Amino acid sequence: MNSSSTQFVASGRMGMYEPIHQIGMWGENFKSNGISNASASIFIAGNLNSSQSILMAADTKLDNQSEDTSQGTLGPSSKYDLEASKPMDKVQRRLAQNREAARKSRLRKKAYVKQLESSCLKLIQLEQELERARHQGLYIGGAETSQMGFAGQIISGIATFEMEYGRWLEEQNKHIRNLRNAINTHLSDIELGVLVENGINHYSELFRMKAIAAKADVFYLMSGMWKSSAERFFLWIGGFRPSELLQVLKPQIEPLTDQQLLDVCNLKQSCQQAEDALSQGMEKLQQTLAETVAAGRLCEASHMPQMDTAMEKLEGLVRFVQQADHLRQITLQQMSLILTIRQAARGLLALGEYFERLRALSSLWVTSSREPA
Amino acid sequence: MQEAIPFRTYIPATATAGDNRRFPQLGGTATGVGNLLVLANGENYVQKLVLENSVIVFGKRGCCMCHVVKKLLLGLGVNPTVFEVDEKEEAAVMNELSNINGGKIGGEVQFPVVFVGGKLFGGLERVMATHISGELVPILKDAGALWL
Repeated sequence: MNSSSTQFVASGRMGMYEPIHQIGMWGENFKSNGISNASASIFIAGNLNSSQSILMAADTKLDNQSEDTSQGTLGPSSKYDLEASKPMDKVQRRLAQNREAARKSRLRKKAYVKQLESSCLKLIQLEQELERARHQGLYIGGAETSQMGFAGQIISGIATFEMEYGRWLEEQNKHIRNLRNAINTHLSDIELGVLVENGINHYSELFRMKAIAAKADVFYLMSGMWKSSAERFFLWIGGFRPSELLQVLKPQIEPLTDQQLLDVCNLKQSCQQAEDALSQGMEKLQQTLAETVAAGRLCEASHMPQMDTAMEKLEGLVRFVQQADHLRQITLQQMSLILTIRQAARGLLALGEYFERLRALSSLWVTSSREPA
Repeated sequence: MQEAIPFRTYIPATATAGDNRRFPQLGGTATGVGNLLVLANGENYVQKLVLENSVIVFGKRGCCMCHVVKKLLLGLGVNPTVFEVDEKEEAAVMNELSNINGGKIGGEVQFPVVFVGGKLFGGLERVMATHISGELVPILKDAGALWL
């Protein structure tokens, strides 16, 4: 128990909460050692400004104890000398337990400090990134506006989206973890229902972010550059294909009742039809844009005659992304209506896991493709 | 119930082949010369279209969203009448349509806009939403746009 000095240093770095926590725990140790409650409570109730001195006092108390135990006796129990063996065993056991508890407490504290420090580092990193992004956005938007104009807004709009998407991914991981825990610990339907709703709302949040980004730069969104490469492989109008989603989900949420099977089948079909309609609309857009661009005489280096028509067509893309996202959203919502809460929770978890695996695959791909052949 | 063809010059809207049979029989698909449609034929033309067709889609000429609605309805087995609106008469037609609906179309509604059974149904979003929820097909059947 002579590491008390290092404990003192560590807790001094940590700020206000730790000392109280530690004092509380140590106070309990003291109680179980039979030292009067009065002295223990003095330590616990110690005020924060003098926390250091309290810890010092606590340390010395512990030091005294260890001295006592090394001598094999403890004050209060000395009056039981006549029945020395029995209470001595008990006392020894208690002491050993205390040592164990204190050791564990120190280990926990170390782990906690480590976690705090890494979170702190992360926070500093994030803040720096935020500053950088802000500076970039501001710099380009402000100083370069005269030259870049609208482009500056695009870049800052995209930078904002990328940052928000990064945060969205982290939130998403949290949602997935919560869902997994909830399902494994058999939470009630009401609590699961809340998690399911949060999960679906989180996707709605993403669609909202995408809508704003689409207005800034729809091509960026359509390119899927903000997604991992494996996810990008499945890209359809700036996101995942709702029908493929249902394909992935179906085996994960079985068993389904007959009515559910029918509903899911119908949903799949409707989804496919809606997707096809949107895809055909996109083809028509491509076709008309191509015609507009190619209009006039291409062989002579002339200006494109209907520049503003072409620009209008491009703006039509924004609506396509909006409609595609709308389709994704209503498909998710309809699915949650068809399924029971428990099934919906499993479904959302499966969905989140699926995309997470795609992202992991992408990372693996990136690292493996860097190795020489 | 065929209506007598009126003596005034009747310029049809651009419609898909194999039309809704209550639409007045006319040969070929003449492209509507925009500004004559509403103005020359009086304000009732648009209203007439709405009432005579179980499903009619009003869309801007060359709009790809209109194409999406059309394809979706076609895929369901519906033969929607499609009225392609010229840029110049956009406002006029929209005005007309809002009159039909008792002035209930706000600034929010944009082309393409769908009328089912003589009543305003909504835009592409509503079509998609009701399709996914399974409500669209029964509504279309009720309006006589779909037979099993």
